Amino acid sequence: METFLHQVIAGLATGGIYASVALALVMIYQATHLVNFAQGEIAMFATYIAWTLIQTGMPYWAAFFLTVLIAFVMGVLIERIIVRPVEQAPVLSVVVVFIGLLVIFNSMAGWIYTYTIKTFPSPFPKEPPFGSRLVSSHELGAICVTLAVLALLYAFFRFTPLGLAMRAAAQNPESSRLVGIRVGWMLALGWGLASAIGAIAGMMVAPVVFLDPNMMAGILLYAFAAALVGGIDSPGGAVLGGFIVGVLENVLGAYVIGNELKLSVALVLIIGVLVVRPSGLFGKVHVTRV
Amino acid sequence: MAALLEVANLHAAYGPTRVLHGISFGLEEGSITALLGANGAGKTTTLRALCGMVKTQGEVRFSGARIDGKATEDIVRLGIAHVPDGRGTFVNLSTEENLRLGAYVRKDKSGLNDDFERIYGYFPRLKERRHQQAGTLSGGEQQMLAVSRALMLRPRLLLLDEPSFGLAPLIVREIFEIMRGINQREKVSILLVEQNAAMALDLADRAYLIETGNVVLSGTSAEIKQNEAVRRSYLGY
Amino acid sequence: MNQTLTGTQRAIGIAVLILAACAVPFLFSNYTTFQCTLVLVYAIALLGLNILTGYNGQISLGHGAFYAIGAYVTAILMDKYGVPYWATIPAAGAVCLLVGFLFGLPALRLEGLYLALATFALGVSLPQLLKYKHLEHWTGGVQGIVIVKPDPPFGLPLNPDQWLYYFTLAVMLVMFLLGWNLLRGRVGRALVAIRDHPIAAEAMGVNNAMYKSLAFGVSAMYTGVAGALGAIAIQFVAPDSFTIFLSLTFLIGIVIGGLASIPGAIFGAIFTQFVPNIADQLSKAAPWAIYGIFLIGFMYVMPVGVAGAIRILWAKLTRPKSSTPQRSGNQPLGQKPTVEGGPHVS
Repeated sequence: METFLHQVIAGLATGGIYASVALALVMIYQATHLVNFAQGEIAMFATYIAWTLIQTGMPYWAAFFLTVLIAFVMGVLIERIIVRPVEQAPVLSVVVVFIGLLVIFNSMAGWIYTYTIKTFPSPFPKEPPFGSRLVSSHELGAICVTLAVLALLYAFFRFTPLGLAMRAAAQNPESSRLVGIRVGWMLALGWGLASAIGAIAGMMVAPVVFLDPNMMAGILLYAFAAALVGGIDSPGGAVLGGFIVGVLENVLGAYVIGNELKLSVALVLIIGVLVVRPSGLFGKVHVTRV
Repeated sequence: MAALLEVANLHAAYGPTRVLHGISFGLEEGSITALLGANGAGKTTTLRALCGMVKTQGEVRFSGARIDGKATEDIVRLGIAHVPDGRGTFVNLSTEENLRLGAYVRKDKSGLNDDFERIYGYFPRLKERRHQQAGTLSGGEQQMLAVSRALMLRPRLLLLDEPSFGLAPLIVREIFEIMRGINQREKVSILLVEQNAAMALDLADRAYLIETGNVVLSGTSAEIKQNEAVRRSYLGY
Repeated sequence: MNQTLTGTQRAIGIAVLILAACAVPFLFSNYTTFQCTLVLVYAIALLGLNILTGYNGQISLGHGAFYAIGAYVTAILMDKYGVPYWATIPAAGAVCLLVGFLFGLPALRLEGLYLALATFALGVSLPQLLKYKHLEHWTGGVQGIVIVKPDPPFGLPLNPDQWLYYFTLAVMLVMFLLGWNLLRGRVGRALVAIRDHPIAAEAMGVNNAMYKSLAFGVSAMYTGVAGALGAIAIQFVAPDSFTIFLSLTFLIGIVIGGLASIPGAIFGAIFTQFVPNIADQLSKAAPWAIYGIFLIGFMYVMPVGVAGAIRILWAKLTRPKSSTPQRSGNQPLGQKPTVEGGPHVS
C-alpha cells in the first residue's frame, strides 16, 4: 500500500511538470491554433543556461529567476522573429519551422555542452520532509513550485488588465484590435510566458532525470498527451490532464507494463484521445463548416 | 462647427476586388451622420477603411491630422471607437470584462468605476448580466454591450456599423434613443452605417447615400427624406 | 508556355544520369560507393514520404517507424529463417503496405497538426517499443541483429559493396518508375486534389478515405523497402538507430529536396547523406544545427525546395523571348507549394 501511495505521489510530482509544459502548449495553441513542437527543447536549453549560471557560482535561486527571465525574453524573440512570418502559412510550413527550432535548440545544447550527462542541483534538502517514506523533499518541492506557478498565472490572467488583454487577443484578434490591443505583442508575450514556464519545468525535472540534451523529449510527449486529455484549448484541462498522465504513467509503469514501455502510455493516450474524443475532457468540440 | 472627420477620394480594395471608388464625405463635430445604401454598397468597407482594417488609397483626416495608413490600434488611441457589424463581442468573456476591455487604452483609469455606473445607467440590463458570459446575451443585449464597450473608451468619434441588424424594431428604437442622448449629453460624434434608412434618417442630422462604392447623394436628413428616388428605393413610399 | 523538355529529350537526360550512376562504383572507393548506396536508399524513403506528405498533404513525423519495420523484417527473415536477401525486399514492402494502410485508417480522422502530433509521438516512442522485452526473441533487443552482407551472384567480378550498390540502384529505378507512373496519372491528381481542396475533391467523386489510406500504405511500402535495403547495406539493425531523428531526417530531406517532386527525393537524399560528412568535423551536433537552419531558411526563402528552384531556373533560362509573364513557382509563405501543371516529373 505504501509503495502504491509513493507511486501516486511521485506521479503527482512528475504530473506537475507535465501540467506546466502542457499549460505552456495550450497557451500557445489557444492564441494561434498551433502546437509548439519545440517547447521541450527550449525548456531544456533554458535549463542548461541555469546550469551555466550555477557553475559560475551564482546562488541557486538567483540563477533560477534569472533563467526564467532569460527564457521569457527568448520566447518573445522567437515569436517576433521566427514564428511571426509563418503564422498565416499552411500547416506544413509551420510544423517544419517548429521542427527546425526543435532541432536547432537540441543541437546547440549538444554542441555547447556536449552529450555527457550533467547533474543539476535541487534547491530542496536531501532528507525527506518529516522523515516521510512516501515522498522526497524534491518531489514535494516540485509540486509546490508547480502549484505556485499555476496560481500566479491564474491570478495574472484573471485579475490583471494585461492578462485580460492577452485572453482577448487569443480569442478574438480583430475585436481586440478595435479596442486598441496590440495583438502581435500579446502573442509574443504568450510565447515568453510559455518559455518561462517551460524553463521552470525543466529546472524542476533536471535534478531527477539528469541534464542532457534529450532530457525533455519524453516529457514533451507526456505534455502533449496531458494537453489532449484535458482538452487542447482548455488551460484548466491541461493542468488536470498533466496530473492524470503523471499518475497513470507511474502506476502503469510500476504495476502493469514495466518501466521500459512507459513512453508508449503517452503514445496510446495521444492516439486514443485523438481518435475517440479529440476535444478531450474539457475542450470545445469544433464543428467545421463545409 | 469644425469638421471632425474629412474623407477625400478614398479607394479601398479586398485583394484584387475594388470596393470603394474614391468616396468623399465629411462629419461635423458633435453631429450624427449616416451612411446609407443597399447591401454591398461599400458602407461597412468605409468604416473598416477609416479604422485601418482594409488597404486604402486617399486621404482621411481626423481633427485635421491624417490617419490613413495608420494601424487600427493606433487609430483607437486617437479616440475613434468602432462598433463592428456582427457586434464583435468577446463571447467567452463576461459582460464586465468586455466593458473593461473597452477602456484598455485609456490612461486615466481613475474614472473607470464612474464610467461603469454611467453605462449601466444607460443600459440597466447590462448591469443585471455583468458577470454573465457575453456570448449568452440576447442579440439586443449584445448590441448594447458592443456600443457600451465603445463608449468606455470615452471616444470623440463613434463608428456604428449596422446596429439594427437582426434586432426587433422596438429594441433598435430604444438603442437609437440612447444614442441620441449620448450624442447630446457627452458630445460624442457618431458616424452611423445603416441599411434601415428610415430609422437612420430619424436619428441622423446629415446623410450620404452610397451606391457601389460612390457617394451619389448627400444632404441633411430632411433633404434626403424628401428626395423622390430615395423615397422610392430606400424608404418604401 | 515555357519550354519543357520533350519526351525524348527527357528520356535521354535520364539515361545519361543512369549511366553516370552506374559508373560510380568504378570511379570511387568502396566506402564512397557504400555512401552512395545509402543515398539511393534514402531517396526511396524520401519518395515514400513525399507521396504522403508532399503530394497528399498528410504530415508524418514518424516515418522512421516504417523504415524500422522494413529493416527488421529483412533482418529477422535473413537471420532466423535464412531467407535470401533479395526475397526479403518484397516481403518488407508487403508488410509495410499493410501496416501503413492500417495506420492510415485511424489517421483519416486526424487533420494536419493532429496527425503530425500523433506521428511525432510514434517517432519518439519507437526505440522503446523496439526494445520491448517480450519481443526480444525476435528483435534481438537492445543489441539488435547482425546481417551478413550478400555476395554478388553468378560469380560476377564485383566486390560485395559494388554488387549491393547495383542491386539497390535497380530496386530504386523500379520503385521510381512505378512511382512516376502512379503520380502522373489519375491517382496522382486525386492525391493532390485531396491535399489542396479536400471538400471539393470529395464533391467531385474522389473517394477521399480510400485514397488517403492508400497513400499511407504506398508511402509506408516505399519507406519499408528503403529500410530493408538500408539494413542490408549497413548489415545491422538495432532500436537506437531508429530514433525520432530518423523521422526528422526524412522530413528535412523532402523539404530541402522539394515537396511533391520526384527528383526532389534524390536531392534530399544527397543533402541528408553528405551534410553530416562535412559538418561532423565541426561537432557531432553540427549537422543538426545546419539541418535546423536550412529547414527554417527554406520555408522562408525556397519553399519549393531544390527541385522546385531548379525548375524555376530552367524556366527562366529557356523562356522564349516574347513570352507572357510566367506564373512564379516560388510560392510565398502564404501558399502551399503546388505542383506546376500537375504532378509530373519536371
